[in-house]
Amino acid sequence: MDNFMALMEGFSVAMQPMYLLFALGGVLVGTAVGVLPGIGPAMAIALLMPITYSLDPTAAIIVFAGIYYGGMYGGSTTSILLNTPGESASVVTALEGNKMAKAGRGAAALATAALGSFVAGTIATVLLTFLAPMLAEFAVQIGPVEYVALMVVAFLTVGALLGASVLRGLASLCIGLFLAFVGVDALTAQQRYTFGSPFLADGIDVVLVAVALFAMGEALYIASRMRHGSVAVIPVSGNWRKWMKREDWRRSWKPWLRGTFIGFPIGTIPAGGADVATFVSYATERKLAKGENKAQFGKGAIEGVAGPESANNAAAAGVLVPLLTLGIPTTATAAIMLVAFQRYQIQPGPLLFEVEGALVWALIASLYVGNLMLLVLNLPLVGLWVKILQIPRPYLYAGILVFAALGAFSINFTPVDVWILLIIGLLGFFMRRYGYPIAPMVVGLILGPIFEDQLRRSMAISQGDPTALITSPIAAVIYATLALIFVLSFWMKKRQKAMEASLDSTSMSAGGGDQTRA
Amino acid sequence: MSTHPPEAQASGARTAAGRPIGEIIFAAGILSLGILGFVAGADIRTPPSATGIGPREFPFIVSGLLVVLGAAIIVQLLRGHRGAPEEGEDVDLNVKTDWLTVAKLVGFVALHILLIVPAGWPVAAAVLFFGASWTLGALSWWKNAVIAIVMALVLQFVFAGLLGVSLPAGFLLEGVEIFNG
Repeated sequence: MDNFMALMEGFSVAMQPMYLLFALGGVLVGTAVGVLPGIGPAMAIALLMPITYSLDPTAAIIVFAGIYYGGMYGGSTTSILLNTPGESASVVTALEGNKMAKAGRGAAALATAALGSFVAGTIATVLLTFLAPMLAEFAVQIGPVEYVALMVVAFLTVGALLGASVLRGLASLCIGLFLAFVGVDALTAQQRYTFGSPFLADGIDVVLVAVALFAMGEALYIASRMRHGSVAVIPVSGNWRKWMKREDWRRSWKPWLRGTFIGFPIGTIPAGGADVATFVSYATERKLAKGENKAQFGKGAIEGVAGPESANNAAAAGVLVPLLTLGIPTTATAAIMLVAFQRYQIQPGPLLFEVEGALVWALIASLYVGNLMLLVLNLPLVGLWVKILQIPRPYLYAGILVFAALGAFSINFTPVDVWILLIIGLLGFFMRRYGYPIAPMVVGLILGPIFEDQLRRSMAISQGDPTALITSPIAAVIYATLALIFVLSFWMKKRQKAMEASLDSTSMSAGGGDQTRA
Repeated sequence: MSTHPPEAQASGARTAAGRPIGEIIFAAGILSLGILGFVAGADIRTPPSATGIGPREFPFIVSGLLVVLGAAIIVQLLRGHRGAPEEGEDVDLNVKTDWLTVAKLVGFVALHILLIVPAGWPVAAAVLFFGASWTLGALSWWKNAVIAIVMALVLQFVFAGLLGVSLPAGFLLEGVEIFNG
């Protein structure tokens, strides 16, 4: 009941007109960046971080939460309406949704995605409301040894599972850990890898790295292989109240619920993020479909949009559980959220609910509010987002570069930071070009110092005996879970690849004509 | 294969994109970062009072991992396993990397940085926007210039004038109050 009261108090904060306005701003920006190809929520939060420094923490966190949820909604609009060949295999929603749109059922696809996201987002936020305080209560009791175990799990799962190549993911993680060393060691005050430079002695600013990797690096990479020609958007018309027919409702509501309960647990464990959740949901729906509906899979089955889209949103809420209660980010966007928290001197982790209770509950309340706003923004106002989708790409990416430079400059008001932005941006460009995932590097950079601190603490407690790291029962359980996650994930990835390959060949041969025209 | 030409084209481009030389150099860079970690790490002083793990051990572990991972990726590359470039909605994996575009963009960002202090942030921002959108193929140059200037002025007004972010207005706008925080 305590938590319920706390949540109500959270609502009383989040419902203040000013915070409602901030939430609206957040979900608007979030939807916009979700809709725009090439900008994700991670990039949007990274870009906004330096310039929202003057906001009060609650307002800033509400804005970021809005962007986080909004980005998930907006993404589906793009994948359904934008005719981009090639990407379909990695985003299953795009596969069925885009086929539906081409068959003139784009409105139903958009509606089921938005409604499914709302249902899943709301249920998942309720689950988050109950689960997070419980987990936090448990987490308060764990010591440095268990913390080390949890972070090893985070490192290995993010490093090895987020990208296509295990070696490259781990290399990316290690680059992040290495950059985290630069500066002054927190425990002994010794300089490390500073090469006598006063700039490096302060350490490398995480926000700067985030802006460089997610904005500068991404813009350079897209520019290097830009899809030229006009942007082909499939038009949608009609009254939004009639988008979903009775039949569509009947076929959608079960996938929504199934997607929610598939997505949320997968989001809470560090097993590769929302991609895995959407895939599992898609595979489930395809298996459960019968007769005529089953034959539609691969050609525009509404279940294939409703399920994965709900799973995607539920997973996004699930990701917040380890982030808020353990301080462990499991996706790129969560890592950026963690940076945002840290900038306001808020340390997510077991103590967050005790120390910053009012703020966390305001954040959770704003998620409920944001979800409702997003439903309104995405159903009647979808036409607006379609227009945004058509922004000429040269202006879009030039604008991103200007914002990245503005963000970097306004960290310390020195051009040196913008040079660092450019250099790390180039690093991000080459990493994308050569298939190194970006998220592990950011996670390494953020968690590295905390990890080293906890590791050295536990070694000091055990007086240098490394076996103490695995003999604690809780830590042992955590490592065993890690092994399990790994076995499951590799098995799942194999299945996902096999399925993508089969979908690729069917969809490509079916849609071959469109591909050559596009 | 002749019955599905788009498929053959797509998968061919995905595996053969770019020369492995660049990838090998990048992996070698990771390896040398690890070596640098050992060489420069030797300079980290360990206070005699420190017990357990000092400030040096963890950097050495990560440096060791970088060396091993860099070497392993090079071996993989030599065996013909390439990295898969990131996919994206605006990314066309079937075209070759356009290095000239990247070089031009890097050049304009560098020009922007050099201009911030002497010419002021709005001028530098307008130059960056104009240069970048021109590089990326914006069609009409005058429309481009108008958007660049308006955007730079709006950003300067909002961030420096309203939010008090200290962006240097530059000699052109120095006297105009709304552009200075």
